[in-house]
Amino acid sequence: MLRAELLPIFVEKVMRVQDYIVEMNHVSKTFPGVKALDDVSFNLRAGEVMALLGENGAGKSTLVKVLSGVYIRDEGEVKIFGAEQTDLTPKKAQELGIAIIHQELNMCAHLSVTENIFLGREIRRGTTLAEKQMNKKAKAILDELNININPKTIVGDLPVSKQQMVEIAKALSMDAKILIMDEPTSALSSKEIDDLFSIIRKLKEAGRGIVYISHRLEELQHIVDRVSIMRDGKYITSMNFADTNMEEIISYMVGREIKEKFPRISCKKGKKIMEIENFNAGRMVRNISFDVYEGETLGIAGLMGAGRTETTRVIFGIDPKESGTVFLDGRELKIHRPIDAIKAGIVLVPEDRKKDGLCVNLSIKDNICLPNLDIICNKAGVVKRKKEVEMTDNMVDQLKIKLPGTEVNAATLSGGNQQKVVVGKWLARKSRVVIFDEPTRGIDVAAKVEIYNLMNQLKKEGIGVVFISSEMPELIGVSDRILIMCDGRMTGELETAAATQDKIMMYATKFENKMEKSK
Amino acid sequence: MEKKKNGIVKKFLSIRGMGQVVTVTIGLIIMCVIFGILSPSFFSGRNVGNLLRQIAPILLVGIGQSYVMITGNIDLSIGSVLGMSCMISATLMTKGISPTVAVFITLAACLAVGLINGLLVAQFHLPAFIATLGTMQTARGIAQIVNNNYNTDAIGKAAQGFRDFFYYGKLLGIYNTVWITLVLFLVFNFLLSKTRTGRHIYAVGSNIDAAGLSGVNVVATTVKAYLVSSFCAFTVGLITCATAGMGTMDAGNMYEMYAVAASVIGGVSTLGGQGILVGTIIGAAIWGVLQNGLQFAGAPVAMRNIVIGVIVVVSVLLDVIIRTGRKPKLKKSN
Repeated sequence: MLRAELLPIFVEKVMRVQDYIVEMNHVSKTFPGVKALDDVSFNLRAGEVMALLGENGAGKSTLVKVLSGVYIRDEGEVKIFGAEQTDLTPKKAQELGIAIIHQELNMCAHLSVTENIFLGREIRRGTTLAEKQMNKKAKAILDELNININPKTIVGDLPVSKQQMVEIAKALSMDAKILIMDEPTSALSSKEIDDLFSIIRKLKEAGRGIVYISHRLEELQHIVDRVSIMRDGKYITSMNFADTNMEEIISYMVGREIKEKFPRISCKKGKKIMEIENFNAGRMVRNISFDVYEGETLGIAGLMGAGRTETTRVIFGIDPKESGTVFLDGRELKIHRPIDAIKAGIVLVPEDRKKDGLCVNLSIKDNICLPNLDIICNKAGVVKRKKEVEMTDNMVDQLKIKLPGTEVNAATLSGGNQQKVVVGKWLARKSRVVIFDEPTRGIDVAAKVEIYNLMNQLKKEGIGVVFISSEMPELIGVSDRILIMCDGRMTGELETAAATQDKIMMYATKFENKMEKSK
Repeated sequence: MEKKKNGIVKKFLSIRGMGQVVTVTIGLIIMCVIFGILSPSFFSGRNVGNLLRQIAPILLVGIGQSYVMITGNIDLSIGSVLGMSCMISATLMTKGISPTVAVFITLAACLAVGLINGLLVAQFHLPAFIATLGTMQTARGIAQIVNNNYNTDAIGKAAQGFRDFFYYGKLLGIYNTVWITLVLFLVFNFLLSKTRTGRHIYAVGSNIDAAGLSGVNVVATTVKAYLVSSFCAFTVGLITCATAGMGTMDAGNMYEMYAVAASVIGGVSTLGGQGILVGTIIGAAIWGVLQNGLQFAGAPVAMRNIVIGVIVVVSVLLDVIIRTGRKPKLKKSN
């Protein structure tokens, strides 16, 4: 049936499908203290969608950044369209046809669609802009993708999904042949995902290669041809999507052995301390309910962006809630601002210590005392120096914070010691419930163990401990019960004895079925 | 014994922000010595008395501005509030109202501006520059309108006590203006360095998110800083009124900028969270000594403006150079 004149086109197409347009072999990249990429190999063919999968911190973003010239690799080779690239820069990568569609959109919100598409490459007639010509070209690209947007629209007025499509159009206008999409569906509704997928299919037919990074394993089946899996900076495997299944993918993603020893202690589970009932706040906090008991560390697992931090922020009164009640020791609390939660006895060690935890250009003493000035001051609000020094010294001893003196700025401390200061400022007052949000992120192993011991200590004292972490081994190692969140909802609960990384991952990727076509 | 002495010096230097204060104090001393050599009467008792009286209003507005700047904001309305204070109090007194009542009415008006500034910035999240630019214009307009766009007449005999209290009177050989400034300085320095409110002010300026999460009421704290600023401008307005014996509509023109200069020279960071009022004293003193000393040396007004402008930039630049110049050295020694 094949007509003779179509044969060359057919052959060309087959060839394109066969040849690798990206080959990364044995690539390594080390940052101070971490080997972010360890002998990773990755390839991509024209006209295929390759999913790049792995847990948070597996090295996906680093790999993509090496490919797009943001990071310079330490070892290994990168071939693009068969040509070895030794000194890849972002500009060069762009010229070679590599484009990244970021999770956070990178566009000038106050400029029009056309202006964004042609930013830095404006077409001019003499010294003036050839606006009509650019608008026409922009329209042509948008039409080609079946995107119904007026190119004169201001980008900031478009919904996120449309902005993303403009970004794709921009990539195409630069003749991008390799598109990298980082969690492109995280902010989209089901209809919008459908639209995006039809665009991706079009790109595929046009012979462009797509690297697709996503945690939403369910949606892969609609577009993906092959998957590559990474774990802890290492390449694990790649395979045709048709030859595998969810269980296998998850087991490759989490298949890490738990080598570290965690200092677990067992306490008798006591009475209920805190009860969270039906919390709702926007898309990231939906119908959240859980209880915290004495003598128990409650872990909360989930992928990045699962809504864990948002939930704690709402409980603590930082962000407003739509509905929900908190009971502490059987008494209902009215929490409108953080001070209400603090006074009631609920404290939060926040996730981002630089942004939310520390005043880096104030002294360690001032940082530790800041939330406790009500204890330190007399009735008139005058700071009692003796009490202040006492509290600080106490915390420094108890937490073994290494510092040149309590008067130095918090900025001078190492990450682990800064984290201890943030923890210390909350332990200095007697609380009923302490919520730790990613307390071990970015700190060394010894400091981690000290944080675990501290949580155990609190647990022994009958204080409720809530432990949020993205690292499953430490969650399994330290908590007694684990709740799993995904996409703003509670998707599972496991007793630690029954918890495995596979099971947690299964719940953590249990996204709502947005796609009608999936079962 | 020697070790203990060392400890005290070290402790002194470790006080927050003391570093730049020491640097600019040395600058101040050098300046005084130069002016003393140029014109020996610079150190005469009479001139020192005048000098202190010149420095006092700059220090007062500087204290207010420092409070606001430590919260990470700025108050451009200081000069206009000063003018408002001067005009409202003078107008009321010329209308035969007793000075005491006039002062309290003026106080209420000035604090209202501070309250509005604080709420606009903290509650409604307006950039401080814009919010206080607006109140600056408005307050100046009020200063002009209270006496139908004229300066007031002399505030007269009935207000002699008022004039003595704020300007002409002396206690222990020192002008009352200086005493008032000293008392207010001690009060506000105590408030900033020793009380809960003070700690909250530093925390808000250092990291507003962390402060909020630590239970600090960010809105109330910011409002308090702006109230202090307005109160200081109010006080200087009364002093200005007492000095001239009348209300002038353009009183306090540019004072918000002098206040910024005093604060910045004294080591208050425009980014918030850093600075101490002792530094602001030195900053105001440098400003006053330059004005006074150059006047003594016979320099024209234009010259004084140029020198002061250069000093503001150079003092901050020096601080930046010293700080960034030290850091790499430290790293090398590690």
